[in-house]
Amino acid sequence: MSDDTAPESAPAPLDAPVFALGEIVADTYEIKAVLGSGGMGEVYEAHDRVLNRWVALKVVRANIAREYLLREGRALAAIHHPGVVAVHAMGEHKGTGFLVLERVRGLSLDRLLQDRRARGERFAVDEALELLVAVADAISVVHRAGLAHRDVKPGNLMIAPGGRVVLMDFGLVLPQADRPGHKSVAGSLQYMAPEALTGSVAEGAATLLDVYALGVVGYELLAGVAPFDGASPIELYRAKSRRPLPRIAAHRPDLPASLAGVIEQMMAPEPHERPQGAEAALWQLRAARARLAGGGGVRAFSVLIVDDDADMREALSLYVHAAAADAEIETTGDGKHAIRAVRRRVPDLLLLDLDLPDINGVEVCMLLRGMQLGDGCMIVSVSGRATRADVELLQQLGVRSLEKGPSLMSALVDLIQSMRPAR
Amino acid sequence: MAEGPPGIDALLAAARADFGRGLPAKAAEFEKLVSESAWDQARRAAHKLRGSAATYGFPALSAAAAAIEDALLEVAGPPDADLRARLEHLLRGAAVEAERAAREVQ
Repeated sequence: MSDDTAPESAPAPLDAPVFALGEIVADTYEIKAVLGSGGMGEVYEAHDRVLNRWVALKVVRANIAREYLLREGRALAAIHHPGVVAVHAMGEHKGTGFLVLERVRGLSLDRLLQDRRARGERFAVDEALELLVAVADAISVVHRAGLAHRDVKPGNLMIAPGGRVVLMDFGLVLPQADRPGHKSVAGSLQYMAPEALTGSVAEGAATLLDVYALGVVGYELLAGVAPFDGASPIELYRAKSRRPLPRIAAHRPDLPASLAGVIEQMMAPEPHERPQGAEAALWQLRAARARLAGGGGVRAFSVLIVDDDADMREALSLYVHAAAADAEIETTGDGKHAIRAVRRRVPDLLLLDLDLPDINGVEVCMLLRGMQLGDGCMIVSVSGRATRADVELLQQLGVRSLEKGPSLMSALVDLIQSMRPAR
Repeated sequence: MAEGPPGIDALLAAARADFGRGLPAKAAEFEKLVSESAWDQARRAAHKLRGSAATYGFPALSAAAAAIEDALLEVAGPPDADLRARLEHLLRGAAVEAERAAREVQ
């Protein structure tokens, strides 16, 4: 139940439609079409008669707890990113709660995969990699907001005009995936990590389910086939836990080994063997993309440290050296010089103090993001007294935050090692 | 966290010792800035020390610097007698912690 491109095999509605075509919901939204329908509810295309725009209305059936919808709405409200469908409002009509969502027009990745298969084609390596980077970017934003999507799959990824990749269907919880005979279950099961199939997800490890699903999506894009065979959860669990894991190279011998390695690592049966979060996966994918663009040569890992305190610059340089002895490190004490340095060469990692004397670190981040100078670079703020508002703004800018203090070294070393595990 | 390259522990220890030895001078600089009513410079110095002292493993000094920074954030114009007394008290505390840190790394 996600979009206008729901596969033809989508399950039939269990109940009658919640809203009728032509119905005016909450005096505002005129129902125009059913975009998707499933066991949990429906998604409608509607026209907002007040603001004169097209929206998607999502409702859950009366037998589904309303809290799912509220959870989804709140999760989406916490995130502002082109890779994540936007929520406009939540409302109620005749006792039925609904979410008003951005109407994303495009094709689902599921549909694109089906079309390619039907034509006997696969995604080109660079094409697949661009999609995976975009999906990983969107998931990492979700993770930075302290959330896990838990239902990443091609049917929940929309490819909108301009190549925009949009992650859809937040808040779809998984218990109904156990319902036998529910066709959409098979699609979800393929992307579920082994620990999700057995209901043994460790506390705080739900983000690793998304990493696993991203790996399966990557495998499917590149290999042209799903990695695992099995119709039931038990069969799939066995397939997913069996070693050796399916090798993409068996389907795609032209694939660079480093990229195959990243995809296969995401699909590791043990959560601790996977990249520890979408952000880590994102940087590994970006590194694979850079290697691909550079003809396979390995560029030195580069770090720009921006802090007006010479003592902190020295400490951070040592910590980077501890994590990556071969890293190329540049340091500066002011934000303007930092922007010039990034213009000259985009580093892999930018460590940025927030409290700088000329333009502060938040402004530097905004400038870099606005000028798209820092897109190929992980920006990490390193601050002694970032406010909650600062951290939230930085999250929206895709900037991770670390705190100055005794745990800074281990946090930074872990971060750098997650960015470049293959070296 | 994986083991770092050879010699990294010695480099880290040397950097901490250098930092510790320089702390009494930093504390003195604080007092000078405050006596000159250079409030913004003093606040920036306190802010830096707050972060760097915590990072190099001197939590008491970091806390002292944080208290000074917080107090200086209250300074909008000439500080009143209460705030000035509080700052002097905090500066004395920071100086004591700085000396203690310097002794620790000897």
